[in-house]
Amino acid sequence: MNVIRAVQLYLEKMVADAGPGMKMLMMDRETTSIVSMAFSQSEMLQKEVFLFERIDSGRSNERLKYLKCIVFIRPTRDNVLRLQSELKSPKYGSYYVHFSNIIPRTDIKALAESDESESVREVKETYADYLPVNPNLFSLNIPTCLQSLAWNLDALDRSVQGVISVLLSFKLRPAIRYKSSSSAAQTLAKKIHETINKETALFSFRPPEDGAPPPLLLILDRRDDPITPLLNQWTYQAMVHELLTINKQRVDLSDVQGVPKDLKEIVLSSEQDEFFAANLYSNFGEIATTIKGLMDEFQKKVHDQKKIESINDMKNFVETYPQFKKMSGTVSKHLVLISELSLQVSKQQLFEVSELEQEIACRADHSTQLQRVKKLIADDKINLQNALRLIMLYAMRYERHANCGTSGLLKLLKDRGGRAHIVPRMLEYISTSARQELFNTVKITDAVKLTRNLIKGLKGVENVYTQHNCVLKEVLDDVTRGRPLDAAFPIMGNELPFRRPPQEIVVFVVGGTTYEEALAVHRFNQDGFKIILGGTTIHNGDSFIDEILAATAGIPFKHSRSLQQFHHAPTGEA
Amino acid sequence: MSSNPFEEPDDAKPGGFLLGHSDDDSVILEGFLCPICKADLKTPERLTAHVEQQHSEEQDLLKSLKEMFSFAKKKILNLDETATDLARSLDSSLQVVGKQERAVAVVNPILAWVDQQSVGTDCDHLSYFKAVRNPRLERYASETNKLIIRLDKLLDGLPSEMDARKKHEQSKVPWIDGKLVKLCPSCAKSFGLTRRQHHCRVCGSVMCDGCSFHLSFEEARAIVQPVSPGPARATSSVADEPTKDHESSGFRVCEHCLHLLMNRKEMQDSRSDRPLITKLYDRLLQEKKDIEPHIPMYSKIIGSLYEGDAIYRLSDASALREKIGRAAERIDNISKTVLAIPFVQGSREEALKKAIRLSCITFIKERMLSIPPLPVEEEIKKIQLRKKQETARRIERERRLALEAYERYELESGTATGNYNGSSSSSTASTAEMTNGRFYGPTTVAGSDNWSGYQASAVALSSSADPLIDQINIVKGYIKQAREALRFEEVETLERNLSELTQEFYERQRRASAEASSSGQ
Repeated sequence: MNVIRAVQLYLEKMVADAGPGMKMLMMDRETTSIVSMAFSQSEMLQKEVFLFERIDSGRSNERLKYLKCIVFIRPTRDNVLRLQSELKSPKYGSYYVHFSNIIPRTDIKALAESDESESVREVKETYADYLPVNPNLFSLNIPTCLQSLAWNLDALDRSVQGVISVLLSFKLRPAIRYKSSSSAAQTLAKKIHETINKETALFSFRPPEDGAPPPLLLILDRRDDPITPLLNQWTYQAMVHELLTINKQRVDLSDVQGVPKDLKEIVLSSEQDEFFAANLYSNFGEIATTIKGLMDEFQKKVHDQKKIESINDMKNFVETYPQFKKMSGTVSKHLVLISELSLQVSKQQLFEVSELEQEIACRADHSTQLQRVKKLIADDKINLQNALRLIMLYAMRYERHANCGTSGLLKLLKDRGGRAHIVPRMLEYISTSARQELFNTVKITDAVKLTRNLIKGLKGVENVYTQHNCVLKEVLDDVTRGRPLDAAFPIMGNELPFRRPPQEIVVFVVGGTTYEEALAVHRFNQDGFKIILGGTTIHNGDSFIDEILAATAGIPFKHSRSLQQFHHAPTGEA
Repeated sequence: MSSNPFEEPDDAKPGGFLLGHSDDDSVILEGFLCPICKADLKTPERLTAHVEQQHSEEQDLLKSLKEMFSFAKKKILNLDETATDLARSLDSSLQVVGKQERAVAVVNPILAWVDQQSVGTDCDHLSYFKAVRNPRLERYASETNKLIIRLDKLLDGLPSEMDARKKHEQSKVPWIDGKLVKLCPSCAKSFGLTRRQHHCRVCGSVMCDGCSFHLSFEEARAIVQPVSPGPARATSSVADEPTKDHESSGFRVCEHCLHLLMNRKEMQDSRSDRPLITKLYDRLLQEKKDIEPHIPMYSKIIGSLYEGDAIYRLSDASALREKIGRAAERIDNISKTVLAIPFVQGSREEALKKAIRLSCITFIKERMLSIPPLPVEEEIKKIQLRKKQETARRIERERRLALEAYERYELESGTATGNYNGSSSSSTASTAEMTNGRFYGPTTVAGSDNWSGYQASAVALSSSADPLIDQINIVKGYIKQAREALRFEEVETLERNLSELTQEFYERQRRASAEASSSGQ
């Protein structure tokens, strides 16, 4: 199950259906991102798609009747209206209309009535309605999805559509489980369940063979694991996202000094960049070694190319040129990225910060950790973002501790000009189950878990910067080993629960997922499972803080009354 | 023997290696028989030498004999095979067995499983779309057709004089009585002195001046006569009279009729409109389609050359390479012509032609120029020589070994003919297997007779009389033609046919001689 491949297959079919000849592709804002994450522009050129147009902006009135127009848009009301007006006075010879999701029949009727010149050749639903990020990871690009800790309705609709389209892409009719304590997860599960039952014709796949458990759709809530997005990461993709931000596979380097002009914005696609695909999940140290190897190889090639003396040499050069050029592009791109990352690591003293973050996340040792947090946030070299995140982690772990020093730390932060008001919001954001289960040092409910933690503790720590395990990993452990799930993750509807672990799993995290969790899923997949992870968005620390602020805007403070003095942001900030 | 998973099918073993049992009661023809004169030469080495001397003209046979022996020997003797030898023999046997099995052997089942992701579900709405659209279109179409018929009548014999024309128009299309209409139906303003009533000439309805449109005679004619705009009629018509007045150069029509008529016109135009860029693009497509299968073929030829195979020649590769190069040049030229088509700066067409050119450059660069270079002739010769030498060495070695075995056998058979049968556990196990399994077998033939076999009395073969031989010659001719025309897929299939034919030929001869022998007895 590869989401990138799924979208590629859809697009390939779409283009093939239109037949040979010059084609153009008409998209909307979202489908443009979807297409661009599956194929590069030059790959589309090779498929005879020469022009690209946005249905919602900047359209010209030129008539090009000899072009075939492939329309790939989301089934929104606005898009249907725009397409209607396009069909009334068609600019192109023929239209192949694809909607990225389920479209009401009334909209099709309206379109059919507008097609007076009989130029529509195809009307289809093609369920590529999600951003394929990695083979095992998709995003719906909804930056914030909660309002007063309940679903924002637009975001809910989009999430239902996104998850439905993923299920249809892989022909899955799953059993749906959701985190029982999360009302957002439950609402989404219910909506998806309703849609599946309504669209029985679409979901009438061949049932799994006798006795085989059905696929599983697992809906989780970010509020149950607020730690993972706050930790500094050390694997390549996660690190780039944390320190430089990946937005739809693109990294903006225009603020970075000394970057060559053509690398101001770089594309990190596991499809088009072999090096990136191979090192997506490598840690920082490994990549440095790999890139050195790559450079040596490159230099050897450059050296080879230098001694062009005869015509034959030149011919060889031309013959190897495409690969040569590709390679030089890859090398310089990743070199720029890695050097910027290592610059940031030393500038922000990330080793020190990360070690303490992991300590707080994994072990309880109040007085020592408080001292270390104090020391670090007083240090001018630690930037305010990292200081804030340390306090957030501390505040979460020791919220109920008798000597909780959060307010003292916040004072320090405020004196340095940091955004202290975020911490109480954070404490409101996290869910009850996160409070109870995340740091289960105080309340020992689960004997098995305790034993496991003890064993983990005895084994010692292999790498201090990657000790933390996300909640998702533990959940997937339970799912793939067939442990009983019904209490924490009930099944939606009246399907009978299956004892045996499912073959295929789609995980969706309300409130956004992270690259660390994608790594966890990747490790499961390496063991032969078929798991896809998705989320309303993919968070790094900063975007997660934005999500917290949006989700808790205007709600009364319940858990953080003791931090009243920090409740309000300084004027001019949200 | 059966350890070889790619064991050759029986028919792949030509007659050289004496397999001769014709029918149940018949005499078994065994021994190393010459496929041409049916003489039993007793050892493969002698047989090879015999064929070399006596039938030197049959080069193909000689080659196949040698290869077959070496292959069979390897299987039977199973002597000091190194791993590489084995691999090569597997390779060559694979080639014999054919492409199909090679493909099977290459595909890794695990990889295939990983790759196997089918396209997701989709849902087609076209039938519903058509169910809504088509009745509407039909209604429009019949309405438009009616208008066009009227337009044709109006144009036919249209008087140039205004009053007469009005009469003509009214006689063709009944006009609505103006007194009944108080307001303009499209702008809802009342008619009066300043706002006069006008009639649509095609449907006869009433509207005000502001709401009416004009359809020029040329346009009207183009709509009526879509295929040939009819220059003859156009010149003789009234419309050529130089008048500025709309009224005299065209028909007054209402918005609805104009929309219908223009819609029809546009559909006709877009159907017949073939601008230069599409013609050039079609040529590009054709070029690409023509050359595409040649590119993997070229790589295949190069690969086979480096393996030292004799199916293709170096000249084949260079000719094909040249062809690909020429096609690249042509594609480059056409795309340059596309780029040179003048379009408005910054227009979509400008972007289109640039995109076409870009895609052509990428295609040429990545598909056509990245093909491997031609191997140097000496290198290929060296490879072929090495392969030949290897074969020769192998034959030499086998000849020596078999000779030893034969001598040993003769020695032993002289002393203990009867006892030998069944006592296969001798030190030279493989040799014993050969003698035992092959030559004693289930049939009880006296050991001493074993090697003598049946002396074929040189069956006279008038080669031209045999249709098979004709066929072989014809195929040979085809191969030559195909090679000249650079149709290498054909060369390959024909070569395969040829080898099948030759095999069949030997098979038949063997059978014929066997029959001759059985009838002789």
